[in-house]
Formats: sequence, C-alpha cells, structure tokens
Amino acid sequence: MAVAGAYSRSPTFKSLIWRIVFLHIVAVAVVAIFLPLVLFWLLNSEIDQLHRDAMRAQAEVLGERIVAAPDGLLTFNLPDSLRGLYSEAYGRYLYDIRDADGRLLFSSRRKTGAAVQAPPLSETMSGAGVTRIIDGKIIRIRVAEDLAHRDVIIDDIVSNFFRRVGWITIPILLILLATDIIIFRRAVAPLWKASEEASNIGPARTDIRLPTEQIPREIMPLVTAVNQALDRLEDGFRVQRQFTADAAHQLRTPLTILRTRIETLGDGAARQALHDDIEGMSRIVVQLLEIAELDTLVLDPGETADLRAVCAEVVASIAPFAITQHKDIALKGTDAPVVIHGNAVMLQRAIFNLAENAIKFTAKDTAVDVEVGKDGSVRVRDCGPGIAEAERELIFQRFWRADRQRSDGAGLGLSIVRGVVDDHAATVAVANLPGGGAEFTLQFRLAEKVAV
Amino acid sequence: MRLLIVEDNAELSRLVAAGLSAAGYESDIVSTVAEAREAVSSVSYAAMILDLGLPDGDGLSVLRELRRQMEPLPVLVLTARGGLQDRVSGLRSGADDYLAKPFAMEELVARLEAILRRPGQLLGRSLRLANLVYDTESRQIFVDDQPRIISARETSVLEILLRRQGRVVPKKNVEDHIFGLEGEVASNAVEVYVSRLRKQLTEHGAKVVIHTIRGVGYLMAEEK
Repeated sequence: MAVAGAYSRSPTFKSLIWRIVFLHIVAVAVVAIFLPLVLFWLLNSEIDQLHRDAMRAQAEVLGERIVAAPDGLLTFNLPDSLRGLYSEAYGRYLYDIRDADGRLLFSSRRKTGAAVQAPPLSETMSGAGVTRIIDGKIIRIRVAEDLAHRDVIIDDIVSNFFRRVGWITIPILLILLATDIIIFRRAVAPLWKASEEASNIGPARTDIRLPTEQIPREIMPLVTAVNQALDRLEDGFRVQRQFTADAAHQLRTPLTILRTRIETLGDGAARQALHDDIEGMSRIVVQLLEIAELDTLVLDPGETADLRAVCAEVVASIAPFAITQHKDIALKGTDAPVVIHGNAVMLQRAIFNLAENAIKFTAKDTAVDVEVGKDGSVRVRDCGPGIAEAERELIFQRFWRADRQRSDGAGLGLSIVRGVVDDHAATVAVANLPGGGAEFTLQFRLAEKVAV
Repeated sequence: MRLLIVEDNAELSRLVAAGLSAAGYESDIVSTVAEAREAVSSVSYAAMILDLGLPDGDGLSVLRELRRQMEPLPVLVLTARGGLQDRVSGLRSGADDYLAKPFAMEELVARLEAILRRPGQLLGRSLRLANLVYDTESRQIFVDDQPRIISARETSVLEILLRRQGRVVPKKNVEDHIFGLEGEVASNAVEVYVSRLRKQLTEHGAKVVIHTIRGVGYLMAEEK
C-alpha cells in the first residue's frame, strides 16, 4: 500500500491513535517524574524562605533588646517570654550575637567569650542573621532553629508531600491520557466512516464518494483530492465500459445480417460450417455484453427472487436444446418458492450457463439435474467426466477452456457465473460426484419472509 | 394477412422479409416510427416485428400507443439491446415476446408462430405439427388428414401443447387448462392424461412426441 510508505518512519505504530497514545505515555511518564520534583523543589525553597524570614524577624526582636549603656558597654536582656525558647534544655532555637570582629558577645549557649569556640552545630540547624548598628558599633545577630526538633512541623509538610499529595498527579495524568484517547477516537470517527465508504468502491461501484461532512479541516484536502481522483477514474471507467458495451452492441446487427444471409444459402456442408461459426461468434458477443452489464450492475439490496421459479424457467428454456442433444433435463428439489436476495434475470443467466455447460460437455443419453434446496442452494449435476481438481479454480476465469481444440464457446460462461455469484454475495463450489459427473453448487442468501 | 416489419436497417429487413417469405408469410417493411404508426392504422396486420432503435424515436413508443388504444396486434420486439432493463421494459410495454440480436431466422419464425398460434390469432384456429392437425373450433383431430378420436381431456392437453409446440409448457398451465377452476385436482392427474394422450397419439400414428421435463412440464415436438 502506498499509505504504508508515508508512515515508514515509525514502523512500530501503524495506527495514528496508538502512535499518539505512545507519545502521550512517554510525555505522561516524564511529567509524572518531573512535576513532583519541581513541586518539591518549589515547596522546599518556599519553606526555606519562610523559615529565613521567621529567623530574621526573631533576630530583629533580639536586636532590639541590645542596649548600649552610657559607658559604651552593650547589655542584652532576653525577655522571660523568650528565655524558655532559647534554653539549651529545650534545644530548638539558638542565637549568637557577635561584634564586627567576630567576637562572641552573647549566646544562648552558656559559655561566652571570644576565646570559646562554639561546638559544631548539628546538620539540621538552619538560621538567618541581621546586622544592626548600635551606638556606632556593628553587631551581627544570628538566630537558628534545629529543624530536627520534634516541635518543628514546617519541614514535615515537605517530607510528607509525596506520600500524602504527590501520588495524585499520577491518576490525574492517567485520566488525562484516557480522556485524550477518547477525544482522539471521536475526532477520527469521520475518517473511519470515510474508510468504510471507500471499501465499497470497486469496478462495479465507481459512483461512491467519500463523505465530506464531519471530516476535520486538516484532513479535508486529502478527502477532496481523493474524491476528485475518483471522479477522473469514473470518467475513464465509463468510457471503457461504454466502449465494450458499444462494441458488442454494434456487432449485433451485422451479425444478424450475416447469420440470416448464410441461412438463405443453399443447403450444404459449407453453409452448416458457416452457420456454426456464426453461432459461436454470436454467443461470444452476447456473453461479452453480459459481462459488460455484470460489471456495471448494482444490485438493489431489497431485490428478491424466487430461486425455484428462476430454475424452472432455466430448465424450461434450455429443455429444447437438451432434447436436441439427447439429454434428459429435470428440475428437482423443493416445490415451494425459495425466496433469496437477488436479481432474477442475472440468476437465470448464471444457472442457464451451468445447465448449458452440463448439456454441452456430456455424453448423449445422459441426465442433467437442477436441484433447488430450501436453504437457497442450487445444484447442477451432470454425468460427464467431472472436473479435475487442478482445474476447479481455473474454470471460472475468463476465456478459460478445458479443451482449446474446441471452437464452440469462448470460455466466458463460467466467468459470468462467478460474476453473478460475487454480485449476490453468494458462493459457488465444484465437486465430482462419487458415481461420476460434476456438481456445481450455488449457495445464495435467503431473504427474510416478506409479509404479503 | 400480412406481417409488418419495423426495422431501420434496410439490409436486415430485406433478409428478414425473405426469411419470412420462405416460411410462408408475406410482409411489409417500414423503417421509422412515423411510418409504423401509419401502416398500423391503415392495414390490419397479423403481427408486427418491431425493432427498438429507430431513427426517429424508440420503437417502444409505437407499442405503448397500440396498447393504449387496446389494439391487440401481436408484437415481437427485436433489439440490439440485450440488457436487463430493456428486456423488462419491453415486456412491460406490452410486447408478446422479445428477441435479442443476433438471432437465428429459425428462432424468429418459431417465436412468431408461437405468438400466432394463440387463440384468435392467424394460426390460432388450426394447430399443426408434423402430420398432426387440430382444429380448435370443431375440436377435430386429423392425422395424415384422417379424422381421429381422442377423448376430451386429452384433447385439451393436446391443444395447449400444440399451441406452444417446441417449448416447455409448465405442468401448472396444463392443469389449469384441463380443469380450469375445478378446484382440487389429484396431484398425478396431469401425468395420467399426458400418458393417455401419448398412447392415443402413438396408436393413431401421429409423428409427434411429448417430452416430460421433470419438475417443470411438458414439451411437444416433431418425432425425429
């Protein structure tokens, strides 16, 4: 298919929907991983900021408590309300206040003095500092909080984020994926409909066009172009078909003249030979016309025919020929009408061809049976040589003949049978009978009983 | 009584006229719809052989006109169109039979005679086959011009088979013809009368044969 070439870049997914679903899953997976990470990071930095602001505010509060005495000495009075918070026993907050040279002036820890090196702070300590100028001296106030302290809840929010909230992104993304598949399926539904219509287009149905309603605007140029291509094809087809029909048609009158003129000749072997030739040629012309007609036939789906009546008519019309050929022809099977979907004239042609072959290619004084089944089947049986296994498909091809030496017939009869069968969505089967002879079985679709 | 040939191909109409003449029928030839109308209105023909494709119109229009005027003139339609539609519309328009080109002269004569053998038509009164003659009005049967007696119901069978000689007469038609609307008829009644007729015809030396087409009907033909 030409279409396959256009998609060859991604051979894994021929379906547009599956390709989109696949890409969507990849996108969802990426988002599912990165979205929580980004959220986590944002939350963390937001909390850090919040924490620093709080620490800075506390440092400022502490800064206000540093008072310069008239003698230049700084005093720091921690209010009682805060004392508990900064106590080492509680262990949550720390502060230290240093001068510009980094000497420790005051600390929440007991040991004070520049010489005393502060013990390393635990890793979970986090804080902020402010600088104040008090009495002309630069003072740095730092406040920190132990985030591991049991009373700190702010980082719990972050650490619980994934467990409590983060998972929600995954179902949301999956719902989004499912919604997208549904939306996309709905969007391509008109294309499915168009494809269904397109599948009916064939040599016998060139009048069908793809529906243009509800087709997405993006696809419209393709649909329009296909329809225009079909218009051009149909024109070409019509010309071709018309030619076949006209050619066969135009031959009819001259053939009739030729035939009639030969019949006016005096009796003789030459006359008989010419007569036979004309017979054969007339048959071919008629069959070519029948084929041309079959190719253009559009069966009305509501049309029904009585298979039993059709077979009775075939047997009646071929009986005179059977008698001249010394064959015994009989109609067997059910006596009741067998109503099937089909066109009576086309059915008649197909069954006639089978019966005609059965009469033509069998020995004298043998029987040909046409049997109608209640199930919508027709069996045409003869007592001839049967049909070799290898030839059972070939016989339905146009211009195929078992014996090329014979000049009667062009090998079109059975191809017409096949054509009629195909038009009727029926089947044809060939088998050899145990007692010798061939049996052709046509199986048609029974029509629903129509209330009269 | 003459036949009318309506055909625009001069060569073909000449040959058909010659063929009919050889079979014992004289005919007039016209080649347009207008001429056909005029001929039909001025002469009483036994039957018309009508070609559909005429230079000044469709032959079917002539046929429809005849039928509208309740004119029972038997019409055999000839056409170069063999298509399904043509066939159906031809018969619907009131044609008595339909023959597609290319046809054999023999077939044309046979079809024509079948039409003419209908009751009230040219050959409808005295039916012949080989050495057998049946006069439908006096209901007399002759074999080699000698009157013969055949019982009544068998004669009815003989009549319908003779009218459609060479063609299959469905069993149902034979039954209706013998019994009319008599109602319930034994299922093998037709077989019984046909076999009695066969026997009587053989006894009388008629050179005819009644073929049984099982499941369909009967066909009467000349014995060969």
